Amino acid sequence: MSVAVEQLLQQNSARLWRARETGSSAAAAVPAGLPTGYAALDRCLPGTGWPRQGLIEILSDQRGIGELRLLLPALAALCRDAGAADEIYPPPRPDHAGSAHVGSAMPPHDRGSGGWIAWVSPPYRPYAPSLAAWGIDVGRMLVVNGAGATEWAMDQALRSGSCSAVLGWSNPRDPHALRRLQLAAEASRSLAVLYRPLQAGLTPSPAVLRLALLGGGTEGLQVRIVKSRGGRPATVNLGH
Amino acid sequence: MAPLARPPSPHRVRVTPAFRSSSLSVPGRTPLAQSRPRELWLAIHLPSLLLDSLRDVALALPGRPPVAIVDLERNGKIVRACEEAVHAAGVREGMSINAALALVPGLHALARDARRERQLLEAVAQRGVRFTPRVSLEPPDGVLLEVRGSLRLFGGARQLCLRLQRELLEAVGASVRFAITPSPLAALWFARTGPLGARPVFVRNRDELASRLALLPLDCTRWPERGVETLGTMGVRTVGDCLRLPRAGFARRFGQELLATLDRATGRVQEPRAAYVASERFATRRDLEPEIADTARLGLALAPLLEELCQFLRERGRGVQALEVQLRHRAAPVTRVRLRFVQPVGAQPQRMAELLRERLAQLVLPQPVRNVRLLSGPLIDLQADAIELFAHDRREAGGNLPQLVERLRARLGNAAVHGLACVPEHRPEAAWRAVEPAAAKPRARQQTASHRAAPKDGRPLWLLDQPEPCAVDRLVLEEGPECIESGWWDGHDVARDYYIARNAQGARLWVFRQRRETAAGARWFLHGWFA
Repeated sequence: MSVAVEQLLQQNSARLWRARETGSSAAAAVPAGLPTGYAALDRCLPGTGWPRQGLIEILSDQRGIGELRLLLPALAALCRDAGAADEIYPPPRPDHAGSAHVGSAMPPHDRGSGGWIAWVSPPYRPYAPSLAAWGIDVGRMLVVNGAGATEWAMDQALRSGSCSAVLGWSNPRDPHALRRLQLAAEASRSLAVLYRPLQAGLTPSPAVLRLALLGGGTEGLQVRIVKSRGGRPATVNLGH
Repeated sequence: MAPLARPPSPHRVRVTPAFRSSSLSVPGRTPLAQSRPRELWLAIHLPSLLLDSLRDVALALPGRPPVAIVDLERNGKIVRACEEAVHAAGVREGMSINAALALVPGLHALARDARRERQLLEAVAQRGVRFTPRVSLEPPDGVLLEVRGSLRLFGGARQLCLRLQRELLEAVGASVRFAITPSPLAALWFARTGPLGARPVFVRNRDELASRLALLPLDCTRWPERGVETLGTMGVRTVGDCLRLPRAGFARRFGQELLATLDRATGRVQEPRAAYVASERFATRRDLEPEIADTARLGLALAPLLEELCQFLRERGRGVQALEVQLRHRAAPVTRVRLRFVQPVGAQPQRMAELLRERLAQLVLPQPVRNVRLLSGPLIDLQADAIELFAHDRREAGGNLPQLVERLRARLGNAAVHGLACVPEHRPEAAWRAVEPAAAKPRARQQTASHRAAPKDGRPLWLLDQPEPCAVDRLVLEEGPECIESGWWDGHDVARDYYIARNAQGARLWVFRQRRETAAGARWFLHGWFA
């Protein structure tokens, strides 16, 4: 039995959570995350940023307390990365309409190198001018009205490999659906975020990171880390 | 191989060497090796194209009246073609229909149909593809085949012509006239002249071309009427007469274009021809035994058909953008499943099957299916990167967004998936719009750049589709007012004072006050959240 455990430990798999190795000593073991843009939050996350693999759950009942602003600096950074790739491989100029020679013009679909951001079943319209003001490339947004198939649509977006971030709004009752989503997020390199109501925090979830958001009166947005693989529960006050 | 028609005696006028060097017919500095042409063009001329294209219409007329084809030119009906019996009665091309009616009282006038004429020409071209891969259309009434490589296969020019004539008569019912020469234009000129039943003209060597062309009347060139008339007054009535004129003078008086056609006809200048590409589609069918009522099994049964389609596409190196699957039942009407791809898809059975499976899963079959058909839309040339040579790289780079969009739309519907774009507009609800994902123009990025300069907190991240009436007595108005008054030109004008407000829970809202009185009485509305 102990031999099996030893073997498991030696595999050094990312899926294995070593409860002992938390904090700074294990910083090397946890892959570096995507900086959130909020230094106080980064300090409390094991990879000093959003985990790049695995599902992130954001639990919140209120609108307008900063639940999107929490993600926007990271999304803007993803857009900048994709934009930088475009400059190395500039998008084709559509000067020869209808030309279809080998090597002449790529179809417009392949503008740049992917890096799309999928919004699956958002509760309201993501407002394009505002996103642009945050430095997000509006031309790379993919808005999907999942209507009852939100988890499926998120799963498809994660597996397609064309999205650098997939955001979904849903509260899956089925634990298997969550598990599938977590596996898809684990296998893909996209940032995978699922927005759920606060109530969902009472039931266990396979997500690697769960944050509960509270819009306090005067202190501004409070982020409570409910679960963090490789990290510790904490509460961060992000202000207004 | 013997020439099909005996060459006419060389109709050459003795000229002085000095004059010859500048005359039109000079073979130039053509090396001897080139006299054996690399190409031999067979011209098919359809002398009665107008009548042939409307033959079935004419035959369907009650009582089979004599028929003339008319054109609505010059504000009147002008006869463009007529049957032999009508011709015998004195009706000629260019006559007005009234004059023709006076000669043949029971004459029935049919209007020209350009679409039918084109169809007939393409039908001829499609037969021609069986004889040579190089087929070119010469609208309105000619088709050219490059037959040099095909002559031996079909047992010589004579056999080839006989066989072609037989096939065209069977398939198209058109009367045709042939000619074979090294230059395509000369072949057309020969084919346009001469009686219908005569042996086809066959010119094997380029050297002979000028002398054989010499006898042709200038009508066959279809030059502008004025030029031909002017030449006629000068006593120039045949191609040969033209060829004896000095080049420089001819070009000056009649233009470079006419000179260029002469050069192309005599083979002095090569004439590139646009290739005719048959507009093909794929269609196949299969009977299901036993009948299938389960959509999952139906997907499996369709897999070989997709494989067949992909083989078809692979052979042609082309793709499709639309497919239709028809499911036939015993009594119920046909169930049609239409697939559309975001971009042309080549031979990718996996991708097609995946999309089809998604669509079939939603289908409710009225009855078991006894027969399936698979039809393709028009074939489309593939873009360079649609061929999955670097499939792995494309996946890495996220280039397969079209596939994701297809899959999502197959299940959720077309309207459920869209992209975003900014619109330079003052009204908040008009400052964005849904666009085709991936169709965003590079301009969108510039707009993004201009918006980047805007303050982050001026506009909310969530916008409500419809502003909701709200009470402001519990809200704290933090910023504002920002007056937005715009849109009087399109009937959706607004006059609003916007405020950024905070509620008791600490959430920030975007609310506005109507500046005008509304019928409903509500004056405050919620329009967005600063999420």
